[in-house]
Amino acid sequence: MKNKNSYAGKFIRVNLTSGKIIIETTPEKLLRQYLGGVGVGARIMWEETDEKTEPLSPQNKLIFLTGPLQGTLFPQSARYEVVSRSPLTGWWAHASAGGFFGPELKFAGYDFVIIEGKSPKPVYLYIDNDIIQLRSAEHLWGKTVPETNLIIEKEVGDKQVKIACIGPAGENLVRYACIMSDYYRAVGRCGLGCVMGYKRLKAVAVRGTKGLSIADKDAFDKLFNDWIKRYTPEGRYWEHVSAMRTYGTFALTDWENAIGRLPTRNHWTGYFENAENTIGMQPLRKKHYKRHKSCFCCGIQCKYVSEIREGKYKGTESEGPEYETVEAFTSNFMSTDTNALIRANYLCNIYGLDTITTGHVISFAVECFENGILTKKDTNGRELRFVDKPENSTKVMETVLQLVEDIVYGKDEFSRLLQLGTKKAAELIGRGAEKYAIHVNGLEASGQDPRPHKSLGLTYAVNVRGADHLTSLSSLDELGYKEELVRRYDKKLVDILADRWDERYKGYLVSEMEEFYALVDSLLLCKYGTMWPPLYYFDDLLKIIPIFTGFEEYSDPQELEKLASRIVDLRRAFNIRLGWTKKNDDLHPRFKEEPIPTGPAKGQVCDLEPMLKEYYEIRKFDWETGLPSEDELNRIGLQDVAKELKKKNKVVKNPKIPKTGRKWTHWSQRIK
Amino acid sequence: MKKITIDAKKCSGCRYCELACVFNKEKTIQPSLARVTVFYNWDEGISVPVMCYHCEDAPCIKSCPTEALHRDENDAVIVDYEKCIGCRLCTISCPFGAVTYSVEKSKIIKCDLCSGDPICVKFCPTGALKYEEPEKISIEKKRIVSENILISVLAETLHQE
Repeated sequence: MKNKNSYAGKFIRVNLTSGKIIIETTPEKLLRQYLGGVGVGARIMWEETDEKTEPLSPQNKLIFLTGPLQGTLFPQSARYEVVSRSPLTGWWAHASAGGFFGPELKFAGYDFVIIEGKSPKPVYLYIDNDIIQLRSAEHLWGKTVPETNLIIEKEVGDKQVKIACIGPAGENLVRYACIMSDYYRAVGRCGLGCVMGYKRLKAVAVRGTKGLSIADKDAFDKLFNDWIKRYTPEGRYWEHVSAMRTYGTFALTDWENAIGRLPTRNHWTGYFENAENTIGMQPLRKKHYKRHKSCFCCGIQCKYVSEIREGKYKGTESEGPEYETVEAFTSNFMSTDTNALIRANYLCNIYGLDTITTGHVISFAVECFENGILTKKDTNGRELRFVDKPENSTKVMETVLQLVEDIVYGKDEFSRLLQLGTKKAAELIGRGAEKYAIHVNGLEASGQDPRPHKSLGLTYAVNVRGADHLTSLSSLDELGYKEELVRRYDKKLVDILADRWDERYKGYLVSEMEEFYALVDSLLLCKYGTMWPPLYYFDDLLKIIPIFTGFEEYSDPQELEKLASRIVDLRRAFNIRLGWTKKNDDLHPRFKEEPIPTGPAKGQVCDLEPMLKEYYEIRKFDWETGLPSEDELNRIGLQDVAKELKKKNKVVKNPKIPKTGRKWTHWSQRIK
Repeated sequence: MKKITIDAKKCSGCRYCELACVFNKEKTIQPSLARVTVFYNWDEGISVPVMCYHCEDAPCIKSCPTEALHRDENDAVIVDYEKCIGCRLCTISCPFGAVTYSVEKSKIIKCDLCSGDPICVKFCPTGALKYEEPEKISIEKKRIVSENILISVLAETLHQE
């Protein structure tokens, strides 16, 4: 029987220790209260793990989740989410990937898959509609991502099978290994591939041919054209959509450099001279573009394949690179060698490494080396340098590329040290290495800098998974969407909000984004279209959610606000239970104390406190401890969470909430 | 007469054609019931939509014992469900697998060019699918090739001279 709404209706629980597989009906209450994706994931992680659950232990769970919009006709609903406790940071972990795997899981009939336990031998999970098997993966162990895909395709005799797997990096427990699906789509951050490797689960392969429904087809018919139009020349942000379609996400490189926000030399500065002509969108497109690609049913279509046409690595070909990878393997080392960039991207893809962390853990080691904290004795003879002159790029990057491979296989003591990530490596090195370990709460800072873009400082500081750019980043100030600011906010505030260097009101803005993306990650839309360009906002969600799910209550902004807050606060509660306090809501000193030395934002630092006060005010956190308010948790429907936290003394009855005196109308009051 | 033409080079593999087709025809979201299917070679990173080509000398029409399969005014091969007895001979005779039988719906499923306004073409974001006079398409292809010849080959020879 087909469901009445766009959920698949069932979920799978696989215990790898015992090999037991259970199929159950997805409880409607769970979906109603948490929607899907990251929301449902947070609820399951809260209920089924506790503060004693170590990231690398059989007790930790790894959950693959879809959402109500996934696999439907909705124009950018290809992403699936994976949640767990991170072996890299020790905190909450969520990461997502586009492609075709997520929708296929729903077509097979499942909303999510919970993986628990630890298999005695390498296995892979095969799902073909109603047939679910754990199959031996001993012959796959040690294989790269493309090899694994090819063997499984052959084994199941179906090239249409969609595969999410790990490469050797995950098997070797590199803490920032990622899960790779559809060959080259990465569930990138927080080291979820490492959890999979620990559990000895090499891959999840899915084939599904079932159907989905939509709760309100008439309303869908009426609005569908309006959504589709946003991806055509008639759309408000056609210029941006078309730039993404032509160049992919690296269209950002030029813009970020123009505002002095392109991380350069391990986040030393935000400006890379001549980037437009060396690593910018035009040279990259001209030198490396091979073919167009896309995720499932996408209106934007920002994917493409790049190739190397000259030199030592001629013939190397891989999907991407995305903007984050461009930054991590060019300006991050002051390199202009785009061949080395494509090669690094390829290596990370086939071994299954997070390109952001990989680039930044190496640049951290380089800065330590340049400052004498590491010597050739520590690095096993490696000479680690930033590029001093552009013509030396290839030589310097050769060392970096070799180090990437050494990290994957833990060739020597030094590469095994770097397997642990920046934070842990800095602790083990000591001697003041923390100064160059540019991470927040254990996650390496991504291709952004809070000094030229102040609101990002708060984003990094309060994010549940550390310094990432996908949990609460505001693109409205970053990319100058003034028209959108006018459309959304009080006209008097528009100039302040649009000013990247002005910290005022940014706490509210970031908090709003966090709520918005919590819903986006639960419906499972892509951040492109919701963040950049801002094609959708809460007013759209109020229509979209009831149309697909039939949950009529979410056409009311007050109810939608509670839902968003429930997801945001539950993820935070997960961290609070693990020991997160106000001290964690902080930034690396480089962003707060070292004025940016060059470029358009020269002299800027990020003043976190005023933004943090606004954020605490709106989230009703206690200013002294960072703990949540009991009343607030009760208000948003997290009574049981409040109760458990109360037992552990981690909730405050009368929190000291900062009073900023600023006037801000919450989105749920603004939108009709 | 217009035909659907496929430019595999432009196909990004997004499968919008599949979903648009099946939602238009069946009011459901189930790509396995679509009249068009996108196939991949993931390793090479290429994809191509496969569908009914409405052959001039259509084997499905020939094999149909009840004349349920016939041509409409758009030159599309379509099914008359009044006449169709569900014998599935057409699924055997079609060399492309473009005619399928749905057990769930108990009927033959095949492309009918949406009465001369194919929805898959409308939804193709990259222009890999087009509905045009075939002559127009080949002229367009020739133009692109000629540009390459002019730029890379002729320009070089001319400069040498």
